[in-house]
Amino acid sequence: MGTKTKARLFKAGVAVVTAAATIAVVSGCTVQTKASTSSESGSSASLLLGADNGTPTFTRNFNPFSPSTRVGTHYMYEPLQVVNSIDGKATPFLATGDTFRDPKTVDYTIRSGVKWSDGKPFTPADVLFTFDLIKKNPSLDTLGEWQHIDSISSSGNTVTFHLKGADVPAATVIDQQIIVPKHIWSSVKNPLTWTNDNPVVTGPYVLGKFAPNEYTLSKNKNYWQADKVAAKTLVLPASNTQVDIVHKGYDWAYSYISDVKGTFVAADKQHNTYWFPPGGTIALYPNLTKAPFNNLDFRRGLSYALDRDKIADDAEQGYVKAAGQTGLLLPNQNSWLNTSIPDKGAIAQDTKKALASFEKAGYTQKGGKLVDASGKQLSLTITSPNGYTDWLRGLQALQTQLKAIGIDVTLNQPQPAAYTQALNAGNFDLALGSYGGTGSTFQDFNNLLNSSFATPIGTATSANFERFKDAKTDQLLTQLKSATTTDAQKQIVDQLQQTVYDQLPAIGLFYGGLWGLFSTKDFTNWPSASNPYAPPSTWTETALLILTSIKAAS
Amino acid sequence: MRYLLGKIALFVVTLWAAVTINFLLPRMMPGSPADAAIAKLSQNGPVTPAMRAAVEAQLGVPHGSLIAQYGQYLGQIVRLDFGTSYSYFPQKVSALVSGALPWTLVLVGTVTVIAFIVGTALGALAAWKRGSWVDTFATAGSQFASAFPYFWTALLLLFFLGYVAGWFPTSGAYGDSSTPNLSLGFIGEAIAHAGLPALTILITSLGGWIIGMRNTMVNTLGEDYVTFAEANGLHPRTVALRYAARNAILPNLTSFGLVLGGVVGGSLLVETVFQYPGVGLLLFHAVTNQDYPLMQALFLMITVSVLIANFIVDVLYGVLDPRTRR
Repeated sequence: MGTKTKARLFKAGVAVVTAAATIAVVSGCTVQTKASTSSESGSSASLLLGADNGTPTFTRNFNPFSPSTRVGTHYMYEPLQVVNSIDGKATPFLATGDTFRDPKTVDYTIRSGVKWSDGKPFTPADVLFTFDLIKKNPSLDTLGEWQHIDSISSSGNTVTFHLKGADVPAATVIDQQIIVPKHIWSSVKNPLTWTNDNPVVTGPYVLGKFAPNEYTLSKNKNYWQADKVAAKTLVLPASNTQVDIVHKGYDWAYSYISDVKGTFVAADKQHNTYWFPPGGTIALYPNLTKAPFNNLDFRRGLSYALDRDKIADDAEQGYVKAAGQTGLLLPNQNSWLNTSIPDKGAIAQDTKKALASFEKAGYTQKGGKLVDASGKQLSLTITSPNGYTDWLRGLQALQTQLKAIGIDVTLNQPQPAAYTQALNAGNFDLALGSYGGTGSTFQDFNNLLNSSFATPIGTATSANFERFKDAKTDQLLTQLKSATTTDAQKQIVDQLQQTVYDQLPAIGLFYGGLWGLFSTKDFTNWPSASNPYAPPSTWTETALLILTSIKAAS
Repeated sequence: MRYLLGKIALFVVTLWAAVTINFLLPRMMPGSPADAAIAKLSQNGPVTPAMRAAVEAQLGVPHGSLIAQYGQYLGQIVRLDFGTSYSYFPQKVSALVSGALPWTLVLVGTVTVIAFIVGTALGALAAWKRGSWVDTFATAGSQFASAFPYFWTALLLLFFLGYVAGWFPTSGAYGDSSTPNLSLGFIGEAIAHAGLPALTILITSLGGWIIGMRNTMVNTLGEDYVTFAEANGLHPRTVALRYAARNAILPNLTSFGLVLGGVVGGSLLVETVFQYPGVGLLLFHAVTNQDYPLMQALFLMITVSVLIANFIVDVLYGVLDPRTRR
């Protein structure tokens, strides 16, 4: 390297730095103009929606059966009926309603006058085709329709589902099936890997412009209830960080956000609101196949030792309430509540009762430590997924509370995949998990209590992770399946609640929230605690209820 | 020649070891791809048994014994066919990687080269004028800048220059509604979006080069042959560049080779903070989603390029420092 070359290098370096600085300044200008135009475009016509996160960009996939489908797919296709997971109520969409002939047979009346977005008419043949498609390709059957259905027949506008047995709750499952057009999908060779770049749909929106950082959905001109759709365009950016959500003026976003009042609401006090209803129960699953967790007195001891309000506050910053022990999600399922259970199933911390129960289970307090007969301190390991920081904060509060009465608690936090594996296979002592929130009381209790899910330790299961087994409960669940009237269902649900309350198959801690953030600047009539017509979730068909209910702000 | 042959043999053996470890490591992680997908779904709410069954049917689990899988894997590497990604199903791994690689190569590559050139030059200058204000400024400044963690610098820049001042776009590699193309407008957009990530990498990596070069050069300047050159009355600049800097640059060059090889791995933290669609972020998604095919392709690409970079540096060393040839 000669003297001259080196000198040139020095100069080149300086030149590069100057060039970089120039670029930064120039680009700064362009970006600022862009920012100002985008805020102007926030007119009532377009709705900025924080719902779909790119990784970090979007891949074009609008196949409603694909696990990695774009969230916008759910605003384009429609199911037979949309079930509000808050109260379980069904709103007719592609069907106008359903009636049970008997607990084994249900008739759906298919809506007439509906058109696909390419102009072709929607008919019962599309419904039959869709159910046939997911029967032939079980990996598309994400709702498990054919676990309930035996056969399907149709005449005129009526499609009749013949069920495998008395199974009234199956209607909720059939309701939610997305219907796809026969004239498009019948020629698709591999319906699982097909990316459906330009979806033909019945719903309120069709695909607008697609780019890797943002896509838009435009109002479907052929939509059968077009008068109910207020937003002409939905804009879905790929990046929806918490800072974006506070600064960029979203109309609707789904995100957990710290100090919502000081951040999101403070950004536009006049318009920004939030609604965080419970979406599931976060509970401590005791492994019922192992001692001492199979001992009811031991579980009672644990339950009485906990201050659930403190755990809920620590976990979710006071956004959610402590869970009751009925197995129901409150206040969503208030109407199902067993009124003979005190305090709506809430269990208050009671150290005396806790110690008395532990004593019955064989553990006594000695020198501030809870010890067994041999004098060894009780030591518990709780498994929880790594990275779920809110759950961890709740667990830390729980750890402190149990330490106070002399129990040693270790937290085991494997990666989410390893956690799922441990939970499914039953390789845990105590594990944090969630249940409920489907809107169907049958499904909620069935997933929590049905002994058919209680596979031996080492064999993966998909529900009832604590492996609860009780013949009487199984019988109640079977009865619930054939109960057609609400009164009959309530009687059974009352008994199921009593079982959860008395037997403590899972110790409810707090309700996991659904994090809905809304702005009333351009659109009003968002769902709220006083008008809970849909959950604030963005990734399910319940969003159709919101998109057909909001009104343009005057 | 013997030197070169030895290096080639070493290269082949390390390559085989890397390829094999790359096969084994992901399979030692607990949990299947379906478990990972279900864990992700359950963050939105409880997962029903039917959803679980469908996810398992869609993603499946690797088939066959470990040996059979290994054979299949070697065959795929030879054909450069890495199959379909689990987490970006039904996207091909090769399409994902080739989509992310250019962004990383241009951003991290360019900035790394700039940081190396500017940093080494400043380091040499600081050592030559040691004790002067140039030295104090370069040394103290770079130590200060590199003491900050990467992501912290990134977040500070993002917040103040991106959100508060509004000078730079805050995420992504190009505008919201653009699709990648080679028009002038798009390239301008891409440069604007690269501003903050580039600045972050430059600030945090410049210091290392400056300090490294300065310290070795201060040592070389104290060597007898430098004193001898000075005593011979050579021009000070000749002494600084041809005698001191040429010898002092060797350690920096080694690390440059390593860093350059690592460029294809992307800059994980920076890419994460700025949601930059590069290899680092892709790798992060692959690992957190138990995406074996994608993970293997990326790890393989990274190890191979580090090995190649090492190999080139070894050969280059032989040219720069005649003693290593013996």
